[in-house]
Amino acid sequence: MKAFSNFHPLVLFFYFISVLLLTMFTLHPVLLFFSLLGAVLFASMLETPRAVLVSLGFYVPMFLLIAVTNPLFSHNGVTPLFFMNDNPVTLEAILYGAAAAGMVISVMYWCRCYNTVVTSDKFLYLFGKLIPKLSLILSMALRFVPLFKAQVKKISRIQKTMGLYSSESKVDRLRGGFRVFSAIVTWSLENAVDTAASMRARGYGLPGRSNYSIYRFTPRDGAALGILAVLLGGSLWGMKTKVLEFSYYPRVAALSLTPVVLAGYAVVSALMFLPFLIEVKENLVWNYFRSKI
Amino acid sequence: MKRKWTVTVVTLAAILTVIVAGVALFHDRKYNIISILIALLSCVPFFLAYEKKQMKTTEMILVAVMVALSSVGRIIFAPIPGFKPVTAITVITALYFGPQAGFLTGSLSAVISNLFFGQGPWTPFQMFGWGIIGLLGGLLQKWLLESNHWRIRLSLFGIFAGVAYSMIMDIWTVLSLDGTWSWTRYWTSIGLALPFTLEYAVSNVIFLMVLTKPIGTKLQRVKKKYGLDESYS
Repeated sequence: MKAFSNFHPLVLFFYFISVLLLTMFTLHPVLLFFSLLGAVLFASMLETPRAVLVSLGFYVPMFLLIAVTNPLFSHNGVTPLFFMNDNPVTLEAILYGAAAAGMVISVMYWCRCYNTVVTSDKFLYLFGKLIPKLSLILSMALRFVPLFKAQVKKISRIQKTMGLYSSESKVDRLRGGFRVFSAIVTWSLENAVDTAASMRARGYGLPGRSNYSIYRFTPRDGAALGILAVLLGGSLWGMKTKVLEFSYYPRVAALSLTPVVLAGYAVVSALMFLPFLIEVKENLVWNYFRSKI
Repeated sequence: MKRKWTVTVVTLAAILTVIVAGVALFHDRKYNIISILIALLSCVPFFLAYEKKQMKTTEMILVAVMVALSSVGRIIFAPIPGFKPVTAITVITALYFGPQAGFLTGSLSAVISNLFFGQGPWTPFQMFGWGIIGLLGGLLQKWLLESNHWRIRLSLFGIFAGVAYSMIMDIWTVLSLDGTWSWTRYWTSIGLALPFTLEYAVSNVIFLMVLTKPIGTKLQRVKKKYGLDESYS
């Protein structure tokens, strides 16, 4: 179930740009926590639990590495924990490093989600009108990649049948690899020129031609875009007015819990958890309907 | 010519606006976002110039083929990190089709191959890095190719491209950490990335040496066979 990706590409693109912007703008621990949690939860709905666990196995050490090495580059802060090579290792620098690491890893997870949700056809749909020639090149290149991969397999099988590079030696295999590559280059260039001729014959680039797209902007998308814009605006306003600001140096600031700040947290968390909640709701509805059958 | 200047001026103005807005709004602290935007914006004039240019469908498709080839190459060699033919294929395209096609092949290769390797904030930096390498390769075409010492010159260019690419990507490494710039961090990450830099340089030289002449001959042959000579200078 991927309920969130059913929204119009514009909504999806706007969403990812907003969360990435917010995440990269801030070093506020609470906001980063929301962002990281939202991204990881959303990723766990999109990918298998195993894939998410494997990725955590990579990102947790990275988090620790960034947090621990930050004091080596930054000696700000007033709470020295101990001294290394006559340089103080401060509590503030470690916490700052942890926040920075949280930011980097949230960005990574949001990008993982982006890659599954905003597929290349959606991207091309969004930017095709803006950059027609480039998006033609992009979409053709995109199609060529699997085509060439299939062709590489064919050629290498044929070469094997012909008795070429069947030995196990490394040099032989490398040579074989380049032979296949050479064949694929020749084939793909000729193929390209043929494609171009075929496109010209069918009137590519003549005026008055339109193209079909599967996406339609519905009122639901409009509403979603409006809500996202309000949430993003609220979060940015909170940052601009220092409601959602946090400082690490010289001393780690205390987390204030005034109503305004809590409202700010609510806005940001609503934005960060939105796709996860939509997925959860869709799963519930799905299970409910199934239970009725 | 006049249009070229307009595009350059507009881009420079846009980059300046981004910097000024960044300083004013975020008190000069959020280098990471600003640098991503600048890396993206610096690609814009080349893309616009390409959109405006009158060209044959064939030329566009040949660029698409080169982009796809470099992505497939990157996938084939994925088990060896850092050993990728993208730079070499970008340079070869630039040598035979000119600086503009070189920039396009480089920057679009970053977009396409990252669809398989994962997009991220580093994509604009790769676009910019490979694009500029392609542009330079195209501009230096005469010096690089039309000489008896072309092997040496091309190898030197390959080494330069590897180092330059690594240094551009290290800018991103530093900025991604906490959004601020620190020279100590930059030099440290260049030091840590040294094995990769070496690998980039070595693989560039290997790929350039092995691929340039064969691919070049094939390109010339296709040009001759299909009578495309007039469309390229």
